[in-house]
Amino acid sequence: MSFLYFVLGSLIIGLLVGKYSSFHFGNLYEVMLYLLIFIIGVDLGKSKGIKEIRKLGKIALILPLATVMGSLMGGLLASFLLGLRIKWALAVSAGFGWYSLTGPLLAQYSAVYGVIGFLANLTREILTILFYPIAIKRIPKELAISMGGATTMDSTLPVIVKFGGSEVTIIAFVHGFILTAIAPFLISIILQL
Amino acid sequence: MNIFIPLLAGIIFGYLFRRRIDINLDKPMSTTLLLLIFFMGVEAGRVEINAVDIFISSLTFAVLTILGSLFFAVVLGGRVR
Repeated sequence: MSFLYFVLGSLIIGLLVGKYSSFHFGNLYEVMLYLLIFIIGVDLGKSKGIKEIRKLGKIALILPLATVMGSLMGGLLASFLLGLRIKWALAVSAGFGWYSLTGPLLAQYSAVYGVIGFLANLTREILTILFYPIAIKRIPKELAISMGGATTMDSTLPVIVKFGGSEVTIIAFVHGFILTAIAPFLISIILQL
Repeated sequence: MNIFIPLLAGIIFGYLFRRRIDINLDKPMSTTLLLLIFFMGVEAGRVEINAVDIFISSLTFAVLTILGSLFFAVVLGGRVR
């Protein structure tokens, strides 16, 4: 949770520097973005998540599929409610809670949508931490994992395990792993439409 | 440059050297991320932003993507359980 304060602090300082100064950082933004994407790729490449998928069977694929479909449908509905272009709405929702990827990727095309992509996905993570314990009173605990999207393999995993029990650990990890692998590709494809 | 290039390069590099890469990637990832978010903030700071509108939009997206995911999880996942 403390890293979240650094992230928010970094965003706020950046906003202030952008608003009240005329510093130019050249193409450092793009350099950092490609470096981050490369590191994410290395992390995915050396991850052992694929081995875990085989152990779980059908649910390992159906739950992430449900999350992808549900998130995109939610994004589509949001585009109608907020009067936004469908392309941007789908790109924001295709982050599946991965705010640190969605924000910077969208900011390449639009600073405003970058901030929306960042905050919408950060809010998804926070709401999952707050409401997963409440959701599992009405929805089966392994299905309620879908609310956390890609974050269920790291930041929301402790809450899910604490309230859902250790038996949902692998399914939450695999769910997050699959969405983490899908998100960078899906956002890029949507942005190029 | 398309992000597929560094992403695929990273995946291939990570897979090929998965036994040799013994370092924890958390620190380089966190440092890069904080710098990236700072630069994103700088770009956003140069644009006129309505904070209330952005907050409402973000909350709407978060709530609807969560509800959509739960709905499809119950509909599709309920059959497999």
